[in-house]
Amino acid sequence: MNLTACPREKEVAALLAQGAWPQASAPELRTHAAACRACADLVLVTQTFQQARAHTAAASPLASPGALWWRAQLRRRNAAVERMARPLLGAQIFALAVNLALAIGFLGWQARHGLSWLTWLEQLPQNSPLHLDALWPSALFTSGWSPALLIPVLAMLALVGGVVVYLGSEKQ
Amino acid sequence: MSWESVLPNVFAGDASHAEDLLVTPPMDSTAFAGFYERSVRSLWAYLARVSGDPALADDLAQESYMRFLCASRPAALLEEGEVACRRYLFRIATNLLRDHWRRPSTASIEEIPEEFFAATASSAQADSAAVLSPALALMRPRDRQLLWLAHAEGYSHREIAEVTGLASASIRLLLFRARRKIAGHLRQQNPQAGSQL
Repeated sequence: MNLTACPREKEVAALLAQGAWPQASAPELRTHAAACRACADLVLVTQTFQQARAHTAAASPLASPGALWWRAQLRRRNAAVERMARPLLGAQIFALAVNLALAIGFLGWQARHGLSWLTWLEQLPQNSPLHLDALWPSALFTSGWSPALLIPVLAMLALVGGVVVYLGSEKQ
Repeated sequence: MSWESVLPNVFAGDASHAEDLLVTPPMDSTAFAGFYERSVRSLWAYLARVSGDPALADDLAQESYMRFLCASRPAALLEEGEVACRRYLFRIATNLLRDHWRRPSTASIEEIPEEFFAATASSAQADSAAVLSPALALMRPRDRQLLWLAHAEGYSHREIAEVTGLASASIRLLLFRARRKIAGHLRQQNPQAGSQL
């Protein structure tokens, strides 16, 4: 393929860009364009594309610029809020990790010291002057649910529930 | 490293950046409306012709304007003038088209609704559209982009390089090959096309 540019290509391109081809072109240039492959391609392709552009642009549907502008504003605002919330999420994850580490550490420490608080919890209903066992259904104790197990489970449920509700409200 | 450097906007109370994002748009709505009116037709024509899908062109044109408004560059571009804004808009549209082509396609190029283009055309325009669309469909997407930007929009090689992200030096060669190829297709479809010079 011959890639040598035609020296007159720029002249032809300028006339085409002005929409002055072939009216304002010299007859000699028109003769050249008819004979030169590069110039003939340039004229054919440019004229076809210019006509197609005029036709296609006239058929273009126009959306409301106001609606687009407001949608863009909304998107900018959401992006900004998301960007600001990202460090908060990091802080939440960090806090959760610290709490978990503390809890695990505490449990490990307690395990090494013989879990003495469990026996204290088991004795609590008998020793307590409030008689908490009167508040619980008797079926609980007969079915093997000791308060030592029940209280941590309820506390864990309350904690997890709180976290779930908090994260849910954060998302909204 | 301090906490303030890790979480600057939260703990240092630096609201200026957030305020800038929330309140200050790159263009006010009136300026944008003017810019939109002047540029939307050529952008849509570019997207419709290069993609061959007017519905896709609608979506991508709207998304291009949205991204243009959400980007941080337009404020700086406004100082360079509307031509620079237009070029940036075409660049966004070109990237969106590229993203679209990269995704697994659900429709082929053969599904171009050609009657859409012919619906409001005069006979000469309809002729050019009827000849151009099949010829464009035979070209590679990148060649379509180059040809449209060069011959319909009248962009220079440097401007095309900016819009497409290709090297400026390679544009001339790519364009030359694409032009020769599509000229061949145009002559094949309409043998009298070359004789109207």
